[in-house]
Amino acid sequence: MSFTITCPICGKRDLYEFRFGGEERGARPDYENLTPQNWCDYVHLRTNRPGPQREWWFHRDGCGRWFTVWRDPMTNRETASSEATR
Amino acid sequence: MFEPFGRLWKQAPFRSTYDAVIVGGGLHGLATAYYLAKNHGVRRVAVLEKNHIGYGSAGRNTAIVRANQRTQENIPLYDEGLKMWPQLMDELDFNLMFFNCGNLNLAHSEAAMGALRLQVASAQYLGVRSELLDRKQCKELIPHLNISEDITYPVFGGMYHPPGGTVRHDALVWALAKGASALGVHIHQQTEVTGIAVHRGRVTAVETSRGTIHTLRVLNAAGPWSVLVSAMVDIRLPIHVLPIQAMVTEPLKPFLHHVISSGAYHCYANQSLKGEVVTGAHMDPWISYGTHVTAHYIKHQAEALTELLPCLRGVKFMRIWGGLADMTPDMAPIIDGNDPIEGYYMDCGWGYFGFKSAAVTGKYVAEYMATGRCPKILQPFRLKRYEENRLLGETASPPQYGPWN
Ligand SMILES: Cc1cc2nc3c(=O)[nH]c(=O)nc-3n(C[C@H](O)[C@H](O)[C@H](O)COP(=O)(O)OP(=O)(O)OC[C@H]3O[C@@H](n4cnc5c(N)ncnc54)[C@H](O)[C@@H]3O)c2cc1C
Ligand SMILES: [Zn+2]
Repeated sequence: MSFTITCPICGKRDLYEFRFGGEERGARPDYENLTPQNWCDYVHLRTNRPGPQREWWFHRDGCGRWFTVWRDPMTNRETASSEATR
Repeated sequence: MFEPFGRLWKQAPFRSTYDAVIVGGGLHGLATAYYLAKNHGVRRVAVLEKNHIGYGSAGRNTAIVRANQRTQENIPLYDEGLKMWPQLMDELDFNLMFFNCGNLNLAHSEAAMGALRLQVASAQYLGVRSELLDRKQCKELIPHLNISEDITYPVFGGMYHPPGGTVRHDALVWALAKGASALGVHIHQQTEVTGIAVHRGRVTAVETSRGTIHTLRVLNAAGPWSVLVSAMVDIRLPIHVLPIQAMVTEPLKPFLHHVISSGAYHCYANQSLKGEVVTGAHMDPWISYGTHVTAHYIKHQAEALTELLPCLRGVKFMRIWGGLADMTPDMAPIIDGNDPIEGYYMDCGWGYFGFKSAAVTGKYVAEYMATGRCPKILQPFRLKRYEENRLLGETASPPQYGPWN
């Protein structure tokens, strides 16, 4: 079975060329309102959605770009973002 | 001499009330149910399993057991777990095929030797047998090991842990199910937990695909799916669900008498009593609930294995399979209860260490659930440690240097 990720520069490539950067989890909490809880939330806690989610990927063995894609961890396939909001 | 095989565990009626409900018929769930009944007299216990018992990682792991973890918080639990096997076989009247062949973990750099020196010292300090070997001693232990200089990661030495080895994973599932069922535990397969009802801060019921069960105590022992069960009570966990693969070769004459592992090659192997080389370690570093296998990994494993054990060149792989691992940032589990919901317990985040630890953890989680007080040995594993920035530091060993199993 082969999985792919679509890089905005290089197009659809073998997933093993990329490094996974985790699920998208919003902006880093700002320094003023930082508490141990919201810092832990940002650094450690995860959703692991069993459906389409926005994720960060890095084209390690390619152009070196960081970008986000929509992907479904249930199928390991990319999805369109519109499908994800259904 | 042989009697016809009967069912190992009984079909039980589905009751609407239980004293404790365990979500997940994996090893941690079954072990906890067994000890709740056996040690604490909590008899009305239900194990709810959405597929069949052993469907999760319980039936997919490579069954390696050892106690040479890295930190002082983790070692005592694994040590007791390792010492339990002979007694457990006796007590459950089941052959778990415990084979204490010893584990050799290789180092491929001076830095790795340094890391293993620390790990050996920690083990010895806590009374766990572990020793540092140079490369010649590694070769004496595993005559087929390639210690020449012209491989990708030449062998510098290793950490040898004589009391570790392997246990038959399916046998442990069956034995615990049999033992628990004989003590009156109800095992309900094809029963999915879909919700957990909480009233005024305490658990009151569990919603399932077969109806509601009233209970004041629930354990989340859903392994890789524990994050989804946890979401039912709005508790987010520091877990990544990652896919791991493992495979076996065709059976060979006995030639490998120890579990061998290498962090740098990202590979471990042992020869089963049937002669197959069981080998694993590849973890795809992206979130997945799919238990896929990939050609990428078969190639990696073939390359790594044949560099370390050149006698395996040309040997065929027979089977490959995938499973999931609930990985935490510090490679230590999350065991907690009554915080912030009374009656809600969790035992998850075991990553790829949850087989060797299942029986002993079940014993202590049962005590926790029966008394409401967290046993001392489990106290380091609270969920709050992440907020308090007291991570347990097991991570420092596996990625480059540790055994990956
Ligand atoms: C390829 C591989 C190799 C491994 N090798 C080793 C090794 O050598 N040594 C070692 O110590 N560990 C190893 N592990 C890790 C070990 O297998 C796991 O940590 C351990 O099995 C976890 O046990 P568990 O009881 O928590 O979860 P599981 O065994 O996964 O059980 C969880 C159960 O919960 C059920 N479930 C989930 N959601 C629900 C729901 N909503 N309702 C009802 N039931 C539900 C699932 O169907 C499943 O049966 C390996 C894992 C893999 C995948
Ligand atoms: Zn690119």
